Amino acid sequence: MFYIQESTCISSQSTFLNKINLLEYQVPEGNKFSVKEPSYEDIPEKILRRMGKAVRLGVGAAMPLIAGSGNPDGIIIGTANGGMEDCIKFLNQIIEYKEGLLTPTNFVQSTANAVAGQVGMLLKNNGYNITHVHRGHSFENAMLDAAMHLAQYPDARLLLGAVDEISAYNYNIDLLAGWYKTTAINPAEIYKSDKPGSYPGEGSAMFIVDNKKQQGSVRIDALKTITSNDPQLVRHRFHEFITLNNLQNDPPGLYLSGENGDSRMMHFYEACETQIEKVPVARFKHISGEFATASAIGLWLSAEILRSQEVPVHMWKHQQPNPMATQRHPLHKILIYNNHKALQHSFMLCSIDL
Amino acid sequence: MSDIVVTGLGIISAIGNSVNENREALINGFCGISTLENFPSRFSGVLPCGEIKISTEELKQKLAATQPGVTRTDLLCLHAFRQAIEDAGLTTEEIESPDTAFINGNTVGGMCLTDELYHDANKHEQGSEYLGSYDCSSVTLSIQAQYKMQGPASTINTACSSSANAIMFGARLIQNGFAKRAIVGGVDSLAKFTLNGFNSLHILSPALCKPFDKDRQGLNLGEGAAFLILEKEEDAAGKNIHARLSGYSNTNDAYHPSSLSPAGDGPYLAMKIALESAGLLPQEIDFINTHGTGTENNDEVESKAMIRIFEIIPTFSSTKSNIGHTLGAAGAIEAVYSILNLKHQEIYPSLNFNEPQADTGLVPVREYKQVHLKHIMSNSFGFGGNCSSLIFSKV
Repeated sequence: MFYIQESTCISSQSTFLNKINLLEYQVPEGNKFSVKEPSYEDIPEKILRRMGKAVRLGVGAAMPLIAGSGNPDGIIIGTANGGMEDCIKFLNQIIEYKEGLLTPTNFVQSTANAVAGQVGMLLKNNGYNITHVHRGHSFENAMLDAAMHLAQYPDARLLLGAVDEISAYNYNIDLLAGWYKTTAINPAEIYKSDKPGSYPGEGSAMFIVDNKKQQGSVRIDALKTITSNDPQLVRHRFHEFITLNNLQNDPPGLYLSGENGDSRMMHFYEACETQIEKVPVARFKHISGEFATASAIGLWLSAEILRSQEVPVHMWKHQQPNPMATQRHPLHKILIYNNHKALQHSFMLCSIDL
Repeated sequence: MSDIVVTGLGIISAIGNSVNENREALINGFCGISTLENFPSRFSGVLPCGEIKISTEELKQKLAATQPGVTRTDLLCLHAFRQAIEDAGLTTEEIESPDTAFINGNTVGGMCLTDELYHDANKHEQGSEYLGSYDCSSVTLSIQAQYKMQGPASTINTACSSSANAIMFGARLIQNGFAKRAIVGGVDSLAKFTLNGFNSLHILSPALCKPFDKDRQGLNLGEGAAFLILEKEEDAAGKNIHARLSGYSNTNDAYHPSSLSPAGDGPYLAMKIALESAGLLPQEIDFINTHGTGTENNDEVESKAMIRIFEIIPTFSSTKSNIGHTLGAAGAIEAVYSILNLKHQEIYPSLNFNEPQADTGLVPVREYKQVHLKHIMSNSFGFGGNCSSLIFSKV
């Protein structure tokens, strides 16, 4: 489909720029995987002050990439909720001031396209600019959009990314709807849970993508999305994906599972995992938390793992890493399966030439 | 020129619940903008809005959609969606096929339920029935579930150009082999959230909006939905082909979060790239359905951008003078209107215009006319600098 040339990530862990340390993780305080925000040196302070958190995370992760590789030909963002912190602030104003005189800043920042719009504005970028907001498939649609753009304009280079924040809005609503556990997080224990609910996360992953195969570039080989609450259909589509990409004969070196400790999702993950029995399995939601665009963090991690040829020990699903993984076989290919709210599923295949 | 054709249309707006009702109203220069009635607000009975005068309850009954969690946005969407699939004669099998994409432009989602959202978001009490209905994608996901759709699906939010981009994305999915057909469009319902948002920006007109008039005072918000069925021409043999989607574009003005640049770089580039993608020269455009919101900024900048690209300005109108600005639905609704122009070889009067702007002098079409039309451009510009133009052609 295309190549990832560079990438950045802001998450609850040490994932940003030269502070990357995936070998250890920090235990978040309380029951949320809240982001560790950097100092945002690439954003003018006057503009930074007006930004809501989602916009800060998105623009903050995007700008260093641009500084390195120049103005892209297009900006393609996936975000389930955009700037919901601003949205709720504006909503509260409407109710509390009984629709009186309100300040527009929160309203303007609350639109989901504010991240792509702000990046475009800061870069004076007149190119293709779009925001996909299809909940657990927001980033996947952004990827598909990028693939189509690069098929039409083979020389183009794009900023592709995802961002979502924990805001009062989505946290309270998803909590009331039963999506979250409220106990303190112990990352080492979250997958052992037999209860519904996961822990909320937030973050941003940004990628510079194009069609140029270079040393160290990570190729996106395939992407498939499925919307279904039927594990058998997901299992069937997963099998099709494996066959289509010849993964029986040329298996990936790692299967990255989006498991999140919500007991209601396990039958989906099990239905898929049993079909790639000999492939070592790793997980990432104990460092990212769960959110609609967490698959972008999964892809960012996969790119880092492929480049460094090192899978952090805490990510292995089993206490004893699979012998295949410890034997220092080069890791060429990673298969990711993510599932959002037991409805929106995605399979991604990425690889590196060593 | 693309080989994507339109084989189905569905629409609901303040001037009608069907394609025919909308056309009749447009021919007669009917304005559907009146004071707000359907929900309590400080602006009820005061502010002119392009409101659909059917209550949410009534819509639920009419559409037999009474399950918990259904919002007005869902209902408007469902209404236009059903018309479009019926018009195109899509079978259940086709709708459920992994080859059928569904792309929906939306900016408000279930936020039309401002008070319910306030309570749920601030966790004042037990959750309401709408916990899964507030985000934009909930509208798309509910239709995906109801119609057992298995194809590619997305919700696009590029503010007021959302459904123009939904149409473009659907067309590209077909052209790139990710779908055989696409159901594309958008929806938005009136909400306290957007009313207060646009009011805080001082761009809501206290009177009927007057697109391109020198004394215009702002926009009127509206609500509605429209969907189009896109197919490849070769797959549409024997079908009633309404028009060809011959070109499209997406650019960014990259100037300000909520207003357009003085020279209109984004709008200019949107029109230019759409022409290039259609392989057309500016003089081949016979008519423009402008973005034409009636705000000081938009109409001035859009006029300047039109002057930059067209040596002789084509006949143009703003149908926002009939239905208000329907935000995420605007691009799709105006696409339907552009297709009606082409199909019936007629243009509809732009309303409430008296005197041109001093510096541009542009005058929209003011009466109904039957004319020869081959290519029509439809513009949609949004907050965040998101600009898109679509070009439809007669088949």
